[in-house]
Amino acid sequence: MKHELVCRPAATAVRFTLERGEEVTCEVGAMVAMSSGLTVETTSKSRGGGGILTGLKRMFSGESFFLNHFTAQRENQTLLIAPSMMGDCIHHRMRGGTLIVQGSGWLASHGNLEIDTTWQGFSSAIFSGESMFWVRCSGTGDLFLSSFGAIYEVDVQGEYTVDTGHIVAFEDSLQFRITKVSSSLIGSFLGGEGLVCRFQGQGKLYCQSHNAASLGALLGPKLKPR
Amino acid sequence: MAAYAFATVGNILALTGDVDMFQTEQTFSGGVFHHSIPNGRAGADIIVTPVELLARTQGDGSKLFSLKLSECQLELGGASGRMVFCRNTDSSLTIFCEERGFPAALSSASFGALDDRFRELRSLQRSQNSRQWFWVSISLLLIAVVCAGLYFGTLAAAQVAVRSLPISVDEKIGQMASVSMAPGIPLAEQHSATVLVRDIVEHLRPYSAIPDMDFRVVVIQDEQVNAFALPGGRIYVYTGLIRHAENAEQVAGVLAHEMAHATLRHGLQKVSQSLGIVVAMQFMVGDVGGLIAFGSQVAQESVLTSYSRAAETEADLEGARMLHTAGIDPAAMGEFFEIMKHEHEELPAILSWISTHPQHDDRISEIRRFRDSLPAAQYRPLQLSLDDAKRDIGQQ
Repeated sequence: MKHELVCRPAATAVRFTLERGEEVTCEVGAMVAMSSGLTVETTSKSRGGGGILTGLKRMFSGESFFLNHFTAQRENQTLLIAPSMMGDCIHHRMRGGTLIVQGSGWLASHGNLEIDTTWQGFSSAIFSGESMFWVRCSGTGDLFLSSFGAIYEVDVQGEYTVDTGHIVAFEDSLQFRITKVSSSLIGSFLGGEGLVCRFQGQGKLYCQSHNAASLGALLGPKLKPR
Repeated sequence: MAAYAFATVGNILALTGDVDMFQTEQTFSGGVFHHSIPNGRAGADIIVTPVELLARTQGDGSKLFSLKLSECQLELGGASGRMVFCRNTDSSLTIFCEERGFPAALSSASFGALDDRFRELRSLQRSQNSRQWFWVSISLLLIAVVCAGLYFGTLAAAQVAVRSLPISVDEKIGQMASVSMAPGIPLAEQHSATVLVRDIVEHLRPYSAIPDMDFRVVVIQDEQVNAFALPGGRIYVYTGLIRHAENAEQVAGVLAHEMAHATLRHGLQKVSQSLGIVVAMQFMVGDVGGLIAFGSQVAQESVLTSYSRAAETEADLEGARMLHTAGIDPAAMGEFFEIMKHEHEELPAILSWISTHPQHDDRISEIRRFRDSLPAAQYRPLQLSLDDAKRDIGQQ
């Protein structure tokens, strides 16, 4: 499998070139275009197994119940996928270990990857600005993540702070806690930041430049009722 | 004397004497941070031996890393908070693992040397977790306070605004309530009882707080001793009440009380107090229709239940004031309560006017006190008789 990220960073799409028998698993509705030699299978199972329960859990994390599996039946087939939100996509190579991805951040995966959901604690469920559940990707393979806006990659050594709603994904060797941004609670809220996510440890962190909830809050009042 | 010797599994040929053999190697799955690995990180199988930690990375180009237990610096963390990180002295190599048995394996392999550090790390983590809980609770509390403030603020503002609405809103609510509640069979307009009650109301009208209120009288053929007023001035009197009254002044007392409910706008007050947040918000953005629909619903309920104790007392005193200025002795109001009180035990089921107007002893004394406080006046008996009305009611 070869991949190419095209039209970066505002309207990124991923172009896959698949050889016979290779398979890519994508988010439902992500396919933009494809060659004729690809078959699509829609199931609730990810590569690592699972079924209806895994599908339901995935729904709670902000993903779809179903997944689309694209398999090349001939040589040199191309598949173009793009996320529903305007923004960037990245490729993350998994070599064992686990990546924890924000609700709708998972776009596609290839290889021996298991896609499951995980609970990151009560306070992060309420205050992280993300879904209640997170997508947990583990194994070896290629992972494609999408964001709203651009994606920043950070190699955390020690501590790092990200505003709520801006997390795309982080490695499980990082621990994150919800804290206030400044030493005074009132100042934290008046500064418009309120609570933030503070990461600790060593590992990779992806964050996004924009936040869909903030955009929604900005646009919502200006929309006319139907 | 106890001593230990280590041997790789499978290499022990024979044992002599008093030797305990135990398997000390245990394998876990975890990962390694090292600059020589692409991207600096890889998943690994970890072997815990009494001397060192061995980590073999997974996938192509597998590498073996080793970390001496004596050099091992521990940390706890990771997304779950349970991940154990073992670093060498210059932190160039980190081996990490999240499996449940890993801390115990490290502890036994190091013969307890790492236990103190584990305890320290766990208590540190607990204190950090409790600090997070503290701030999360504070934030939740703050959000709750803001929400409660908005909720009660909107309600209070709506209550104030409702009271400044014009009388026409009362009339609208009263009209809608009268249509939907259908209190019973009314007597004809020309019936002597209707005429009597209307005459008394007309007599009192000039002395009410809002003389041009649209007072309308309906007498209902019903043995209950009952009377009530809807917002806007519709007054309903049951024939049972006329039958139990001794004279026209007593009927005037009850009517003055009911007219006072209307002029004091207790109906609208009740509506404003029972406002739900949705109606309050609609009203605050200018939708009075929802309020009127809600009001007619409340008006129906409030006549069947009762007004607050304070509203009743207020209506008593306003009624007494009206009677006094109209030249009728306010004591007549108290007298009617007195009659009701004495007959209460005999006729509990039908005395609904009394049962919705509780604690009449207090009210009688309250009215008496108020009457004594009024300037002395020459009270004249009403030139109206109950006899015709009582006779005609009996013939129905």
